[in-house]
Amino acid sequence: MLFPTVEYAVFFLAVLAVAWPLARRVTAHKIFLLGASYVFYGFWSWRYVPLLIAVSVFAGFIAQTIEGSEEEATRKRVLGLGVVVCLLVLAYYKYTSFLLLSAMGLWGLVGRAPVSNLPAPFLPLGISFFVFHAISLMGDVYRRKLTVKLTMLDALLYVAFFPQLIAGPILRASKFIPQLAKPRDPNAIRVNRAFLLILAGLFKKVIVSNTLSTRLVEPVFNSPADFHRGDVWLAIYGYAAQIYCDFSGYTDIATGCAMLLGYRFPRNFNAPYTATDPQDFWQRWHISLSSWLRDYLYIPLGGSRGGAGRTYANLMITMLLGGLWHGASWTFVMWGALQGLYLVGHRLWAACDWVEVRRLRADPLWRWVSRALMFHAVCFGWVFFRAPTFGVAWTVLHQLGSAGAVTLAAWPVVVCVLIGIFAQYLPRFLRRDVEAMMSRMPVPVSGAALALGVYVIELLGPTGVAPFIYFQF
Amino acid sequence: MKAYQRFSGVGQMAWGMLAFAGVLVVLDSGGIVSWASRLELGPERSVAVPLAAGLHRAFGWMRLERERDDALLELARVGWSDDPALLAKAAGGGKVQAVRVDTVVASMPTAIAPAAEAKSAALPVHAPILVKRMEGAPALVSALPSIEGVVAGKTRSVGLAGDSMMAVGLSPAMLRAGAQYSDLAFVKVFKSGTGLARPEVFDWQTEYPAMRQQARPEFVIVAMGANDTQGFVDGGVVYPFGSAGWQAVYQRRVADYLAMLESDGATVVWLGLPPMRSEEYDAHVALINKIDAEVVSASPHAIWFSTAGLVGDAEGKFRDFGEVDGKLVKLRQGDGIHLAAQGKTVTTASVEVKR
Repeated sequence: MLFPTVEYAVFFLAVLAVAWPLARRVTAHKIFLLGASYVFYGFWSWRYVPLLIAVSVFAGFIAQTIEGSEEEATRKRVLGLGVVVCLLVLAYYKYTSFLLLSAMGLWGLVGRAPVSNLPAPFLPLGISFFVFHAISLMGDVYRRKLTVKLTMLDALLYVAFFPQLIAGPILRASKFIPQLAKPRDPNAIRVNRAFLLILAGLFKKVIVSNTLSTRLVEPVFNSPADFHRGDVWLAIYGYAAQIYCDFSGYTDIATGCAMLLGYRFPRNFNAPYTATDPQDFWQRWHISLSSWLRDYLYIPLGGSRGGAGRTYANLMITMLLGGLWHGASWTFVMWGALQGLYLVGHRLWAACDWVEVRRLRADPLWRWVSRALMFHAVCFGWVFFRAPTFGVAWTVLHQLGSAGAVTLAAWPVVVCVLIGIFAQYLPRFLRRDVEAMMSRMPVPVSGAALALGVYVIELLGPTGVAPFIYFQF
Repeated sequence: MKAYQRFSGVGQMAWGMLAFAGVLVVLDSGGIVSWASRLELGPERSVAVPLAAGLHRAFGWMRLERERDDALLELARVGWSDDPALLAKAAGGGKVQAVRVDTVVASMPTAIAPAAEAKSAALPVHAPILVKRMEGAPALVSALPSIEGVVAGKTRSVGLAGDSMMAVGLSPAMLRAGAQYSDLAFVKVFKSGTGLARPEVFDWQTEYPAMRQQARPEFVIVAMGANDTQGFVDGGVVYPFGSAGWQAVYQRRVADYLAMLESDGATVVWLGLPPMRSEEYDAHVALINKIDAEVVSASPHAIWFSTAGLVGDAEGKFRDFGEVDGKLVKLRQGDGIHLAAQGKTVTTASVEVKR
C-alpha cells in the first residue's frame, strides 16, 4: 500500500477511528495496531507476512532471553546468535544473487564453468528495515538501554509498526518501546503539525520526486548516450533533488501518521544539502540509518579509539557495508566506498594544520565553497547510486563533456530541481511560522486546508504513483 | 510547549479528519469515481464503485469536475503537464503546444537486417520441449525475417511501444544499442503501468496517436501485456480474468491495438512476455502470450518474437541466471518479472538491427 493513494487514506482513517477509542486499553490498542500493520504489509503480499512475524518473534525471543540473563557471556552469545540469524535472513533474501554471481565470477577466473539455473529469492518489501529493527531491539536490550520490561507484543509491534515498516525511519527500540508501555494521551496530539508533515511529504513525493523521475532522471539514466552536457548535469542535480524529496517525503508522511496515532518518530533529515563536510552530511541525511551504523557497526568495530589508521579502516568498512545495505550491486558498494573516502579525506583535511589551510577555513566565503564542494561530491556519488551498471554510470559521466542541445529543461522540471535542492536553505522559523499560523486555526479548518492541499497536489502531480525509491531497499 | 506548537484532543482531531474527508469528497468526487473504476475486480471494487458513484451523484451538481478538467487543461497549456493526450487536447483548444518527440540519431550509418543469428546464439538455445505448456502456446524460439536495408541518406524510424516491459525494461538497452546506428531514429511510444485490459485507466487508442504525433515509424517493436492479467468490465459486463468472454474481448483489443500500430504501413515486431517467477502469474502471462501470438501471427504485417527461449530455461521456464559468452549473468530483476540489465541486452541483441 503506497502512502499517496486513496487505499492508504481509507485504511489510515479506519485505523485512526478504531485506535483512539482503544487508547486507554493499552494491550487491545497494541493488538489492533499490530493487526493493522500486518494488513498494511499483506496488502502488498500476504506471502511474506509470516516472514515478518517470524523475524519479529525471533528478535523478541532473543531480546527477552538477553533481558532475563545476568551473565554477560551468555547475553553476548545470545546476542551474537540473534544478530547472525537476522543477517543470514537478510543475506538470503537480498544478497543471494549478488553473492552467487560474484562467486561464479571468481569460479570462472579459475577456469571452471559457471553453474546455471541458480535460485534467486524474491525480495520481500522493506526487509532491510525490519531486519535492522530486529537487530536494534536485541542490541538495545543487550546494552540495557530499554527502560521498560519488554513484552513479546511490544517487540512485534516495534518491528512491524506500519508507518515505518517499509522505508523507515529506523526507530530505536529504546526510544519507541517506552512509548508503547503507557496509554497514548488523547489530549496531546499535534494535529496541525501532523497535517503539515503529511502535506509537505505529499508535495515532495507526488510533485517534485515524480515529476523529476518521469521527465528528467529516467530518460537520462535509461539512455545517457542520447543526451548531452546540459541535460546530464540537470539530471544529476535532478536525481539529487528527487531522492531527497522521495525519501524525506516518505519520512514526513510516516512521521505525520505516527503523530496522529500519538507516537513520536525521530527526525530523519535535516537539510542535508546544506552540509559543509561529509560528517555534517551524514548527520543530516537518513539520520536514523547513519546513527544505526555508527552505534551498531562503527563503534563495535572500535570507532576512533584505535588510532588514525584503524579509524579510517572502520569508516571505510562501515560505509562499504552501508552501501551494500542499500542494494546488492557493486554500484552501491562503489557509492559506499566513495562515502567512506569522503569521510576519511575530511578527517585528514580537518587534521591539517597548515597556515594557508587555517586561513582558508577562516574565510567567511569558505563555508559556501565547502557547501558547493560537498553537494557536488554527493551528486557524484548519486550517479553510481542511480545507475544500474558501471557502464551506465561511466556513460553518464562521459556525457558531461559532450556538447549538444538541452532538451529536458522544461520549466516545471527546472522549478522542481530548484525546489528540491534550495528549499533546504529556507530558515526553520518559516516552517514554525506556518505551524503557528495553523495553530491559530480551528482544527477542522486545518483539515479542510489539508484537503485543499491534497487536491492541488493531485492536480499538479504526474499521472500514476511511482513507488518510493527506498522501497527497493 | 513552544509558542508555535499546539496540542489538540482526539475530538478536535476527529473533526479535523471529517473536514478533510468531506472537503476532499466534495472537491474530487469525480476523481474518486475514476479511482474506484480503476480498481481490480474484487470485493474492494464491489464496495468502492457504488459508493463512489453515490458520492459523485450527491456532489456532481456542483460541477467541480469541470473546473478540475479546465484546470488540468490550463496546466497543460502553460507547459506544466507532460501527459500527451492532455497536451494534444490543449493544443486543439487553440494555442499550439509543441511536444518534443524523442528521437535518437546515432553516429554510424548502417541498416536494418535480420538478427535471428545475432547474439541470441550466445545463450544456449534448446529445442522447444513443450512439457506442460499451454495448448496453442507460441514456440519458444523465434527468428526475424530479412528486412531491407535503409536507403543511403535516409533515416529509418523505429517505434518502441508498450508498458513497463518496454519503458523500464527493454527501451534503455535498445536505445543504447541503437545509438551506434546514425540512420535510425527512435520514437518512444511506451508508458509504464499501462496495458490493454483497462482502457478506462489508459486508453492506447487515444494515447498512441498523441504520443506518436507526426512520427510514422516504419517498424514498431512492442512489449506489452504484463499488467493485463486482471479482470475487467466491458459494456457493463464483468469479465473475470481468463474467462471465455475475457479472452474474446482481450483478443479484440489486441487486434485493435495492432491495427492501429500498422495503420501507416508499419511492420510490427511483437515481443512475447518472458516467463515469470511466480507460477500463477506465469500461467496468466502464458494466456496473454497465446492470445497475442494468435492475433499477431494472423497479420501479414506483424511478426511474433518469443523471448521465452532467450531468457527462459530449456523448457521456456523462468530462470534468474543464464550464461552469456561463457559468463554467468543475471537475466531477471529481483521482482521476478522485469528483465535485468543482461536480460535486456540479450533480448535486444536478438532483435538488434544490423547491416
